Amino acid sequence: MPDNPGEASAVVVDQVVRVFTPRRQPPVRALDNVSLTIDPGEVHGLLGPNGAGKTTLVKILSTVLLPTSGRATICGYDVVRATRQVQPLIGIVFGGERGLYTRLTARQNLEYWGALYRLPGAQVRPRANALLERVGLADKAEKRVETYSRGMKQRLHLARGLMGDARVLFLDEPTTGMDPLAARDFRRLVGELKGEGRTILLATHDMVEAETVCDRVTLIDHGRIIATETPRSLSQMMSRFQRVDVEGADTALLDEVRAIAGVMGVETEDASARIQVDTEDALRAVLKLVVDRGITAVQTSLPSLEEVYVGLIGDRGLEV
Amino acid sequence: MVRGVLAGVRLQLILYRQYPDSFIPLMTAPLYTIIFVMIVRHGGRADLSGYAVVAPAFISLWWFALFHGGLVVNSDRWSQTLELHVAAPTSFPAVIFGRILTVTLVGQLSFVEVWLVGKYLLRTPIAIQHPGVLTATLLATAFAMAATALFMACLFVLVRNAFTMTNSISYPFYVLGGILVPVALLPGFVQPVSRLVFLSWSADLLRASLSAAPVADVGFRLAMIVLLGAAGFAVAADLMRRVVQRVRNTGELGLR
Repeated sequence: MPDNPGEASAVVVDQVVRVFTPRRQPPVRALDNVSLTIDPGEVHGLLGPNGAGKTTLVKILSTVLLPTSGRATICGYDVVRATRQVQPLIGIVFGGERGLYTRLTARQNLEYWGALYRLPGAQVRPRANALLERVGLADKAEKRVETYSRGMKQRLHLARGLMGDARVLFLDEPTTGMDPLAARDFRRLVGELKGEGRTILLATHDMVEAETVCDRVTLIDHGRIIATETPRSLSQMMSRFQRVDVEGADTALLDEVRAIAGVMGVETEDASARIQVDTEDALRAVLKLVVDRGITAVQTSLPSLEEVYVGLIGDRGLEV
Repeated sequence: MVRGVLAGVRLQLILYRQYPDSFIPLMTAPLYTIIFVMIVRHGGRADLSGYAVVAPAFISLWWFALFHGGLVVNSDRWSQTLELHVAAPTSFPAVIFGRILTVTLVGQLSFVEVWLVGKYLLRTPIAIQHPGVLTATLLATAFAMAATALFMACLFVLVRNAFTMTNSISYPFYVLGGILVPVALLPGFVQPVSRLVFLSWSADLLRASLSAAPVADVGFRLAMIVLLGAAGFAVAADLMRRVVQRVRNTGELGLR
């Protein structure tokens, strides 16, 4: 029986705090009153820089780490008090080289995890076969994992995470190291999993990935949630980053544009210019000016999720 | 529980096939047998050949239990499968127990091996005078050894230098276990401590099973091995629960 029988959400995170206390060092507040709700069948992106708290949150939800305070549930079951009920419902896919027995073949890895996810004996091999086929590794099923490329290991990770037929999947930077084609296939696969009604929490750095596959994204930084919106809403929220792209504007015209109140910047490259504005009034004034001067190649656009990310979190270069 | 144990057994058997270097103790045991048998033979004590043959088998078994069984959790931590195990619905201690049980049973091959070496290579046939006692002793020893390995496996999660620790704790156990030099010949102050180490009971009983003399107090001595093993299991199982809870709390589960 779920702790919250009426709970309609697949994932609920309520005021979760996680403090790490390393020896001889000051405590680190990795998550600071994080609250989040994910609906069944939703693909939810968790975006943030290194050290933002993405992996810490994924670990708490997957029962391998305890929160310092607060509460989190999966399909109504508390991740701390009802661990045994939570574990059959979830699948975890970590990025990178970790989490596989590299001297074992892909099939042996999957069959082992199938046993651990309590699949009936007769179902283990057919399910492993189906998943290997699905992630494009059927012809490499009998090869040792140590001979796999990083992208192939990532796909095997995903298959491993699906062996238990999880209702909620946690994907922690799953396309790390994948080439663009493999990453595109991976995103298609995420779309298929969503089509099957699975709930997916995708922790990633990759803005294109988040924009392509996520229904909603949460921006997280320094353990705090900055915003949770659809990728499009987030872009609209950032209307101060609206821009006007023009072709053929001369220097004099661009100087006039710079003088308009609300114009944040003008970048030029050859005959093109990108004008950034932070108000609707400035946008109208810029459009009127350039059209009045006979410029016809004009285009307005909203920022990409990457620009929103940089805008909200700040461009801190290599700093974490 | 049973499913977890079986999954652990299967995994360990596959890993043994993939890591043939794991069987190095089976190669060193005959060499130790030759050394020990030569020492007792040239010392004019051929009657102690049984001791010389049995000791390498215990060393080998201990090696399997400690270096394979004891490091099972640590190796999962290194390959970063530990977190995935803890997050899986099957009991993690059950899986570990299955793996360690396999290790211990494979380690028992050492006894067959050294007996064959003694008989055919060194022409030192070791007559098994009490096969029932021998079989029971080997089974009880496997159980107690698995418990010890499980305990070590838990302990090694908490320490970063598990390999160093593994190396350094072996020799005191060889002495306290009386695997070559019987406990009765050890200094008086060591003997009470020695009796708390199941190996001392195992080694004595195993040697007794090779001797023509009737074996005294078989039931009691077997019970001591099983009792010490059971105590080890109880402590290890509790320690495993505490360790997993602790590392979930401290966030050290995935540390390398």
